[in-house]
Order: sequence, then C-alpha cells, then structure tokens
Amino acid sequence: MSRRQLLLRLLFKAAWVRKDRALTTLISVAVVATIATAALTIYSDLEGRLSREFRGFGANVIITKSSGALTNDELARINQTVGSRGEVLPVAYAIGTEREGGARVVIGGADLEKLRRLNPSWSFTDLNQGSALVGTRVAESLSHGGDWHIAFGSAVTSIAPRAVFRSGSDDDSRVYLPLADFEKLTNVQPHTALVRIEGRPQEIQTAVTSLSSSLPGVEVKPVRQITQAERAVVGKTRSIVFAASAVVVVLIMLCMVATFTSSVLERRRDFAVMKALGASNGAVNSLFAAEAALLALAGAAAGYILGSGIAFWIGKANFDAAIPPQPVLLLPVLLGSVFLALIASTVPLKLLQQIQPAAILRGE
Amino acid sequence: MFLRLLFESFRRQKRRKGVALLAIALGMSIATAMIAVGTDIGDKISQELRSLGANLVITPIEDTLDVNIGGVNLKPATEGAFIPESDLAKIKGIFWRHNIKSYAPFLSSEETFTSKNGTFKADLIGTYFAQQLKYGKEEFTAGVRTVNPWWKVDGVWPQDYTDWPSSNPPEILVGSKLTQQNGLAIGDQIVIGGKALLVSGILNTGGAEDTAIVAPLHIVQSILGLPNAVRRVTVSALTKPEDAFARKDPNKMAPAVRDRWYCSPYANSIAFQIREVLPNVRVEQIRQVEQNQGKVLSRVSGLMLLLTLAALLAAALAVSAAMAATILERRQEVGLMKSLGASNVAVAALFLTEAGFLALTGALAGFVAGTFLAHRIGNSIFGSAIVVHPVVLAVVIFVAMLVTALGSAGAVRKAMQFDPAVVLRGDA
Repeated sequence: MSRRQLLLRLLFKAAWVRKDRALTTLISVAVVATIATAALTIYSDLEGRLSREFRGFGANVIITKSSGALTNDELARINQTVGSRGEVLPVAYAIGTEREGGARVVIGGADLEKLRRLNPSWSFTDLNQGSALVGTRVAESLSHGGDWHIAFGSAVTSIAPRAVFRSGSDDDSRVYLPLADFEKLTNVQPHTALVRIEGRPQEIQTAVTSLSSSLPGVEVKPVRQITQAERAVVGKTRSIVFAASAVVVVLIMLCMVATFTSSVLERRRDFAVMKALGASNGAVNSLFAAEAALLALAGAAAGYILGSGIAFWIGKANFDAAIPPQPVLLLPVLLGSVFLALIASTVPLKLLQQIQPAAILRGE
Repeated sequence: MFLRLLFESFRRQKRRKGVALLAIALGMSIATAMIAVGTDIGDKISQELRSLGANLVITPIEDTLDVNIGGVNLKPATEGAFIPESDLAKIKGIFWRHNIKSYAPFLSSEETFTSKNGTFKADLIGTYFAQQLKYGKEEFTAGVRTVNPWWKVDGVWPQDYTDWPSSNPPEILVGSKLTQQNGLAIGDQIVIGGKALLVSGILNTGGAEDTAIVAPLHIVQSILGLPNAVRRVTVSALTKPEDAFARKDPNKMAPAVRDRWYCSPYANSIAFQIREVLPNVRVEQIRQVEQNQGKVLSRVSGLMLLLTLAALLAAALAVSAAMAATILERRQEVGLMKSLGASNVAVAALFLTEAGFLALTGALAGFVAGTFLAHRIGNSIFGSAIVVHPVVLAVVIFVAMLVTALGSAGAVRKAMQFDPAVVLRGDA
C-alpha cells in the first residue's frame, strides 16, 4: 500500500467507521453555512425588496413649473429619467364652480388610470356612470340628485362619476377629469407632474438631483415625509437584520468550533496510535486537517443549498417574490467554513502534541 | 449512587461538560436575542414610521369644500364650519387614548403681510407647536413638533401663546421659500392688519408650508377674529394594520362582535371613537399613511419573524449536534455501566439528567448573554433598548431542555445498541 493510498484510506475509513461522529460535525458545519448563506442572501437583497414596499405611498417627487405649462420636451426628459422604475403623472388644476349650488370646486385633469395606479392606498367606490373620479367630500356635498355641472368661465361640463374615492387628503375635495376633457373645459395644460420613483433611497436622491439639474425653471421637490420614512425604515431594518445575523452567525460559529474541537480531542487515542507507529507531527496534522476540510466542504455545500432555499422561501413568504440565490456567496461560504474547520481541528492537535503518546494510550 | 455518578461525571469531565454547556449557552443566547429583537421590531419600526406624520384627519362635517391648489388655500377664512378648539382635548378621553400619540389643529387663510421689503401674500397657518394640555388628570403635549417630525426649523420654535402677548410681538415661523422670495431673516418683523409679528425661525418642510407663515394657533385666531376656531386637526395614532374585520360597519355588527371591533386599535375604530366625543366632525384615515404603514410594518416584522425561526432552528440543530457529539464519545462509559448490570433505563436516566442540568445552566447563561446582546442591538440601531420579556426566559429554558434531550436521546440510544463487550474492547 502506497503512502497516498494509506492516507486516503485513513481519511475515509475514519469518517466511515465512525459515521455518527462524522455526521455530527458535518451537521454543525452545515448549520453554520446554512444560516450564514440565508442571512447574507437576504441582506444583500433587502434594500431593494423593502424599498419596493414604499410604492404604495404614491408620488414621492412633485415637479412644478411656476409659470406656464410643462412642455413636451420637459415631460419627455422626466419620463426618460424615471424610465420604467416609476410613474409620471402630469396634472393640471383649476377652480371651477358647481352650477347648481355655486360652490367652488378644485378640478384636476390627469390620466385617470395612472392616477389610480399611483395612489393604490385610496379606496374607490365604482359607480361606472361616466369618466370622472370624484372625491368623497365633493360627492357628499353635491349629492343633490340630478346631474352635476361644473362651470369654468363660460364653459360648462357635466360630471358623471366613474368612481368616488376616499384619500383623507385635500384630494377628497377635488374632482378629476380625463386630461382631454379637462383641457377642453379650461384650456389649461399640466403644470405639475406627480412622480413616483422606485428604488433605493440613494437612487431616488440621484434621480431627483439629475432631474433638477436638467430642468431649469422647474421645481423638483421630493415629498420629504415619504423619502425620510423610507430611508429610516429601510436603513434601520438593514442594520437590524445585519446585527441579528452577525450575532447569530458568530455565536453559531463558536458553537460549531466547540463541537469540532471537542470531537478532535476525543480522538486523542487515534492520534497517539499514529504517533506511536512513527507518524510525524506534520503527517498527523495534515491527516486531521484534510479530514476536517473534507467534512467542512461537504457541510458547507449542503448548507449553501439549504440556506439559499431558506432565503428563497422567506422572500416568497414575506415579500411575495422569491429572493434568488447569490452565486457570489458560494465561494466565501465554502472557504469560510473550511477555514473555520481547519482552525477548529488544528488548535486541539497542537495541545495534544505537547503530551506523550504513551500517556494518552495509558489513559492518563 | 445515581447522584454520585452524576456529580462525579460533572467533576471529572470538565472539558466535555464545558463544551456542551458552551454550545447550549451560545444557542440559547441566539434564541433570546432573536426572540427579543423579533418581537420588539414591530414597535421600533412603528416608531420610525411616525415620521410619516398623522394618520387621521378631523374636519367639520358641515364644512364647505377645500379650495386648495399647490398648497395655497384659497378658501376665505370665515367660510364654512369650524371645530371648537376647546373640545379637542376630549380626543385624549377615548378608549384608545394611549394610542393617540399627538394631534395638531390647523386654521389657515391667505393674508397680506407687510415687511421692510414691501407687501406680499402668503398662507397664514395657525397651529400648536408643543402645547401643554390637560385632560382630566392626564397632562400631554400636542402639536406639529410631534405630529410632523419632518418639519425642520432654523432658529427657534415659537412658543404657544395663550393670548396676544402684551410686551413683545409674538413669534412666528416663516417658510424657507418665502424668506428667499421676500428677503426675510430671523429677527425681522412683519405686520398684518396693524399687528407686528417677530420671525423667530425659518421653517423647512419640503411641502406647502415652505411658502407660508406658521404662527401659534391663538395668535392666528386673534388675527382672523375667529376665537376657538379650528379648521382641521391631524391626529397621529398608533394603529393596528387594517384587515377585513376592521373595514366592517360597526352599526351592522352584533354587540359582542362590535365590542371586539371597538376594542381593537384599528384606525377605523379610533376614528369611530373620536366621532363619539366630537360631535359634527368627519374623521378620515389619511390613507396614504395609514394603509401603507401597516403594510411596511408587517413586511418588516414578518421578515424578522422568519429570520428568528430560522435562527432558532439553526440554534436547536447546533445544540443537538453538540450534545450528540459529547455523548457519542462516551460509549465506553455506557458499555461499562451496562456490563456492571445497569439497565437501559438507568443509563438513559443518568445521561438525560446530566443533559437537563446542562440545559438549565446553559439556558440561564444564554438568556443573560442574549438579553445583553438585544440591548446592545436596540441601543445602537434604534437608540432605545430592546426589552426582553421575562416570559422569554421560560421559553428559552423549555427550548433548551427539549433540544438537549432530543440531541442526547438519539445518541444515548445509539450508544446502548452496541454490545458492551465490543465497546469496551474498543472495536466499535
């Protein structure tokens, strides 16, 4: 039997003969790799995931032109900057008079489909009579029966609500008409754009900066309460996930090192027999190290797969969209586990080397 | 004999017991810290979401429509209906009064002001900044400083006057954009209707208030000649995320169901309770805040819950593996005991009692360490400690017992399957 064969045989027999011992160390490595992979995968994807949850808050940037309407050129630039990561809704406002009661009503003109999409938090009661979206306070105060007519200057239009909405904001006192109808009535073009930019807090900030520099004479204002809340919640959640994962990973690593170390120490008889048969310290060290590395590699690979699966599932269960595995993490997880296993197995050997093999074999 | 075996096992196998204890303690500190963080995260994130501002708005039912474009209020101050300011403190008397964090009344009108640089028109908004109030025996503070935490002031926040001050002119805030447009600065005086106001700070909100003048409510009431009048109140309340039950109409519920609805801190039930104490008002959810806040909150808490579960599972596995490892190494002992005539039950009892002791000590140590970790995490991230509920200790002890017992039981059974003679010869 060649030296290499002997080494391989020692390596695999050791694990095979004491399957349970190999299994417990394998499990402890796999647990570390699993939790580390799951935590890191979630953490790397968290900011984007959580930022998406802020979609529902509606427009987070308001663009207004102080004089005149937004030109097509300016709208095109806004659309281009926001791209597919958001929604741009040009809106025009005017004050009309309700013909029957004489009350003044703010009327808005916009793409009503987009308006509904932009404000998913509003509650709509569909009436399906016409085309206008009517705020709940308008609907209540004008509920005199019959058709509503709103006058702007000398022009008059009749309002048939498609839906009544509740928002809890000033919009409850407004009536929104399709932009074309609105322009026909008032001859006013949109001077405001409600914009929702999706993305991480920095990405929103960058978009705002680039919009305000590329649109002179136009005011680009982030809605601070939303951007601030998003930054706070996303930032703090990231930190808490990071801190909690760090604590868990470090502690569980310590736990694994303890288990590993102890299982090596339990094998002091093997160690002593090898030494008594003339193996050098180096040979014994490399044998133990190779065994630990192999176990760690197997455990880490299993852990990576399991951890990615857990992250995938957590994404699906919590964010309704799976978190994909991060192949970038595979190498660090494997190397980290092997490195830890090597430390955990060689340190106790150093201790054993200070004892005479004979003393160990005698059971002292 | 049993006790002696137990005692000696701890005394002689210090290293082995140390490793097992360490593993249990580490696992249980993970459990403690994660349970504490996971259960407290909802409250903490909910506090962060306060920066979204109020989630309920109160307006008079009889009020005419708001005429408000681009943040400019075009409705004459005297038109429409008002809420009596003196009634507002009753909000702190509702069933869920402790969930009412703060409220801010508003009264506004577009007015003409004169400064040293000429005259200009701007919205005059009256509100509380941090008004001290009392309802029954309870004292509380209400105002925009707590309701709208994103409002930033350069200079000094004005005080909330009860009356027009006799000596100095009352202090006010001027919106940042208005100061630029009209060349105003802190310390300037502006005049409205022959009355002087002193600019004590520059307000930056990122909203419509940047072009307005914000003054103490009682000063604005006195300028507009509308004593005790409030047009709108925004309320910041801690609420439970809305579900299907929350949306039901309380007037159509059976009494028992209605009680349950009434006693849940839904935005709708808090709104209902506010309507009970303030007649003739409409209370609406500020849906943008209320609807989304719950969603974000449940996402974050859900994530932490799942992470906590994963961590608990990992800790349990790690502890089980460590226990199994230490016991598997002791098959010689098992062999010896059995060859001396010990029954399987006796051996199992000994090992499990040992495991129980280890679990108890490990759980206690882990609880202490985990509490410390949770505290540190809370302090460094949220600036407030994460409180570990004492019930967590019971949970942790139970989990530790269960996990060590499971880890040991498997290993003990395995060790007992071997023939004692074979084990003692060292062939197994």
